[in-house]
Amino acid sequence: MSKTMTVDILSSIKGAQPSESVNKLFDVIKNAVPSNNNSLNNVNYNCVSVSNLREDVVIESSAIEKQIILENFPNKKNGFLVVAKVIEG
Amino acid sequence: MDSQIKKIHQQLVSKQITCTALVQEKLDLLKQNTYNSVNSLLDTLALDLAAKVDAKIAKGETIGLLEGIPFGIKDVFMLQGTYTTASSDLLKNYKSPYTATAIQKLLDAGAIPLVKENCDSFGHGSSSENTIFGAVKNAIDPTLVAGGSSGGSAVNVAKEYTIFSIGGDTGGSVRQPAGYNHIYGLKPTYGRISRYGLMAYASSTDCVGPLAKSVEDIRIVLNVMSGKDTKDQTSITSTEISEDAIATSNVKTIGYFKNFVESDAIDAQIKADFLASIEKIKAKGIEVKELDFFKSDILVSTYYTLAMAETASNLSRLDGTNYGNRIEAENLIETYAVTRSENFSEETKRRIVGGNQVLSQGFSDEIYLKGLALRDQISENFSKDFEAVDIILSPVTPNTPPKIGDSLKDPLAMYLSDAYTVGFSLGQLPTLTVPQGTSTGLQITAAKNNDELVLKFANFLKELI
Repeated sequence: MSKTMTVDILSSIKGAQPSESVNKLFDVIKNAVPSNNNSLNNVNYNCVSVSNLREDVVIESSAIEKQIILENFPNKKNGFLVVAKVIEG
Repeated sequence: MDSQIKKIHQQLVSKQITCTALVQEKLDLLKQNTYNSVNSLLDTLALDLAAKVDAKIAKGETIGLLEGIPFGIKDVFMLQGTYTTASSDLLKNYKSPYTATAIQKLLDAGAIPLVKENCDSFGHGSSSENTIFGAVKNAIDPTLVAGGSSGGSAVNVAKEYTIFSIGGDTGGSVRQPAGYNHIYGLKPTYGRISRYGLMAYASSTDCVGPLAKSVEDIRIVLNVMSGKDTKDQTSITSTEISEDAIATSNVKTIGYFKNFVESDAIDAQIKADFLASIEKIKAKGIEVKELDFFKSDILVSTYYTLAMAETASNLSRLDGTNYGNRIEAENLIETYAVTRSENFSEETKRRIVGGNQVLSQGFSDEIYLKGLALRDQISENFSKDFEAVDIILSPVTPNTPPKIGDSLKDPLAMYLSDAYTVGFSLGQLPTLTVPQGTSTGLQITAAKNNDELVLKFANFLKELI
């Protein structure tokens, strides 16, 4: 994709513009000089080891959970849950 | 103050009060309150649970320490069948299909949820003004903000509408409102309490944290909620903290960040009070070291860069199709955009846009990746500090709470007001606000996984200051 995407498109927010206040925060980072130059998160290890992964099993939702998920779904027509519109093109 | 949980437990067991009367009294207080601390009351559920506790006591059965104890829940936690709005228009009709692990553990221990509490929308704010339910008012002076984002939770505890409340802390959202309302608020070590069922703001620093009026109550609630959870793979195993283990302090050396108190931004009284607290600690024979740390603007900018990037990703699911209040438009893309534009607050939009800015091509190297590198350096700095000192003591905020309305006018000032809390979040360290030392309290921080030492030192300070 060579097309440049603006922040309003990336954020799905109409007319969104970068904020001056937030840009001031980012300027501090741009001007900072880190003594290391990696972003490998070498200090806080939060990853899970392969041997410690949880079981890859399907857990059936309870009846009440399913019912609330249906209630929350934004739109329903003739008994079917519907998405906004099929993606065109 | 002594443990409220133990006091009420005794009153229930000795039949001085009934659980139903206690819960009804608290529900009435919450309903009538004018602090905007409530998003929804869980009256039917709470009274049903209270009746069960009363029946158990009447039958002469033993009840657990937390059984029948009323508590509050920040409105970003799932509790099956209750509205979980994140104080937002987008989710104002959203019902939790399931229950958060931390909340389930409290329910299993018999605690009674009374209320879903007002907060900044999706945790985006430091004042609890960014909410569709009205700005939360400070418990001590209602013309001032309650702090945030867990403002409703802090006020409910301070006013004794709840015995304890459960907040969420990403960059200071439990500790800062605790400081503004003169109560205790703990951000435990990252991962100690499962995040499952807490709406994600910035997943790498999001923590579940208790707010209460005593160290002992914080300890009791922390123990119940802690533990590894397969539903949150960043959660960790931890050992229970006993009352005896934190009774006497063996802290020999503490440190504080010189640049925090030498900054021009700190209020003169907070600075003087903080330094006076340091002197009292020195007088007890504890060695105090001045530590070097990153400048406040670097801390705040690193935190917000990473938090905005993570929230932009986490909140992308809120598009009116997967979740939320859909507003139809001519096609799918427009429907997403109109739904998000109309339903997100200005502050939430500002953070999503900021996050997408730093993640987009051409900017990620000079901002986002550099932010990650800075976080690593900040964490390394902490590791070195904790080789030299047992505890780091810090003010909670540079200033006293602002007037309601002022923070919304100046977002940059609001971001900078988090200067003293965000660093510890980036380090994933255990940090407790205690309502002592300065008008907005003190923060006690220890090395990662040393939550016990934090509580121990808090008990020591309780006697000293």
